Amino acid sequence: MITTSPRPVAPWGVCALALVVGVATAGAAELDEVRRRGELVWAADQEGGGPHVFPASDDPTRLTGFEVEFAELLAAELGVRARFQQGQWDRLPLLLGRSADCVINGIELTPERQRDYRCSRPYFAYALQLLGRRAGPLDAFERLSGPGPHGPWKVGVLTGSAAETVMRSRSDLDVEVVGYDGTLDSLEQVRTRVLDAAVMDDCIFTFYADRFADLRTVGRPFAGGLYAVLTARDTPELAAAIDTAIGRLIADGRLKSLYDRWDLAGRQQMLLLRDATEIPAAPSRSTWDLVRETLPLLVRSAGMTVLLSCISFPLAILLGLAVAVGRLYGPPILRPLLTGYVEVLRGTPLMLQLYAIFFLLPKVGLALPAVVAAVAGLALNYSAYESEIYRAGLKAVPLGQFEAALALGLTKWQALRHVLVPQAVRIVMPPVTSDFIALFKDTSVCSAITVIELTKRYSVLALSTGRIVELAVVTAILYLAMSWPLALLSRWFERRLESGGQR
Amino acid sequence: MIAIDSLSKSRGSLRVLHEVSLAGAEGGVTALVGASGSGKTTLLRCLNGLETFDAGGLTVAGHRLEPGPHVPATLERLRRDVGMVFQQFNLFPHLSVIDNVTLAPRTVLRMAAEEARMVGLALLERVGLASFAAARPATLSGGQQQRVAIARALAMQPRVMLFDEPTSALDPTMTAEVLDVIIDLAREGQTMVVVTHDHAFAKRAATWVVELAAGRVARQGPAAEILS
Repeated sequence: MITTSPRPVAPWGVCALALVVGVATAGAAELDEVRRRGELVWAADQEGGGPHVFPASDDPTRLTGFEVEFAELLAAELGVRARFQQGQWDRLPLLLGRSADCVINGIELTPERQRDYRCSRPYFAYALQLLGRRAGPLDAFERLSGPGPHGPWKVGVLTGSAAETVMRSRSDLDVEVVGYDGTLDSLEQVRTRVLDAAVMDDCIFTFYADRFADLRTVGRPFAGGLYAVLTARDTPELAAAIDTAIGRLIADGRLKSLYDRWDLAGRQQMLLLRDATEIPAAPSRSTWDLVRETLPLLVRSAGMTVLLSCISFPLAILLGLAVAVGRLYGPPILRPLLTGYVEVLRGTPLMLQLYAIFFLLPKVGLALPAVVAAVAGLALNYSAYESEIYRAGLKAVPLGQFEAALALGLTKWQALRHVLVPQAVRIVMPPVTSDFIALFKDTSVCSAITVIELTKRYSVLALSTGRIVELAVVTAILYLAMSWPLALLSRWFERRLESGGQR
Repeated sequence: MIAIDSLSKSRGSLRVLHEVSLAGAEGGVTALVGASGSGKTTLLRCLNGLETFDAGGLTVAGHRLEPGPHVPATLERLRRDVGMVFQQFNLFPHLSVIDNVTLAPRTVLRMAAEEARMVGLALLERVGLASFAAARPATLSGGQQQRVAIARALAMQPRVMLFDEPTSALDPTMTAEVLDVIIDLAREGQTMVVVTHDHAFAKRAATWVVELAAGRVARQGPAAEILS
């Protein structure tokens, strides 16, 4: 397995998965559908990194990796083009039958996956490799059977990966297994001596070996498994076609030449040789070059962040205001419903709401594009918070204002519209502004439903370039460059409301 | 113009108004006087439906109010004909002086903006504040604010004006400028009900005086008799 996810798989994530699994769409005509469309849509997470799927180092806008080429070969066999669909690695299967035909991303064959999805015949064999520091005390796999220098050996793995399953099941070893969400997190921790060792798919370490020149492989790979292409349960024809295609790619040597081109075997050889004789790691690019190459991509993704927040927040404000007015002045039967609306949306995680909108609504026939689903989710979630702010704001307007408006013959709604709401808006300006900035940053959660915004783009680039700190600084500057003018704008707006006449 | 018959109101176990009847206020200026807590302000607020009552009834400017919750449409019709000036002015702080005055004509009577503005400026002229039309209420003195509040109520051309202790939140120096405006209105024949502690003002302006004590009418009659 490969990849990284920004946060652990929460229990509700599993619930959402359980809800979606086994309900996929389409019928036996799915292969015809792919042919008619002329595209095989394959899902993967580019944040998972090399050698599977990652941004090319010379052009970060282009994706590369052996699975990118594999997907193209596969699609060509089916007589169509391949189209990439971004998704969060641990939730890629949720995209099946929704926005992807298949998942190709280092998905290990497991009994559970064979039960829940259609797994193709294997297209890659991985091996699990133990890794340690060059000068460290761990020089052979067998040492794990006895205690380490300070109690059990601390071994890092990627959460949810086969490496984790295997290491946790080995009761014969004296190890403490620590799960990480990022593909390379455990290597960083070995380097900084927090961990004694890490276990991962050999091809991943091989690919990133230059970046971790002070680490080495310990012994030969000790376990292994197979990667398969996942398709939805109810797409037998597509699954059969993929199996046939893989068979041909294996038989006529095209898969082997693909792996040769990626040097997936040869690099391992080289590494063993390198480990035998110290060879310095390759020099890295200058920070300036790094920024120049990644900035256009980061800025474009920042545009998505701005788009999401600038559309969803006005909607949240309007919706929140309507809910607040309804709760305070609406018909009594409506009030408990609106209270429920607020409590449900405030009391459940934004990510779960995005899930429901993006993955569950299609089950009742409402399939929204990811960006629309993201805007809807953000607007709904924040409307609950805004409505509470407006409720407080409306209550803070003196009762005499309402009475004076009514005494003039205004109806309740006219009094609200012309007297109460304008004053409440002025009162709540500061908290609403701060909520806008909060929403602005919350847009990063939308990467869970395949939207690539600034934070997701940062994660992908940080992993593919290994320049975590430099890119974090650039990304933070971009966020600040967007949120600061926002704060200034709202302060100006506040002053204008206080002094000027708005009617 | 104003008739109240056996009106009673309780808050919990407290009798706020007890069988209050009032008949002689056909036109002219009615002064509601009495000690604090005697029910004057509550009675006044019953007249435009800001308060409900439990028994009896009242008629103001041809609109009838019955005990219990009021029908919104009835109240809206009644309030077009009944203006009110509050002790604390209650001007709308987010609107300019002229917008305070024109809000009701424009939203309730659907008067055109330009016409409403002309009417509003004329009323501000009448209370001596035309030059403050563009100002914010907060920049005005208390006496000026209360005069704007009177102009705001007059903009609906009410048949009855209600004043709830219009000068008690003001410095003595500002009281006169407000009372002068009210007395002018009275001279022009505006029907009004004024809750007041100001004996001298009542004597000058009122035609009918009702004295309340502990929620009951202690005495009522022509001003000349009661206040002499």
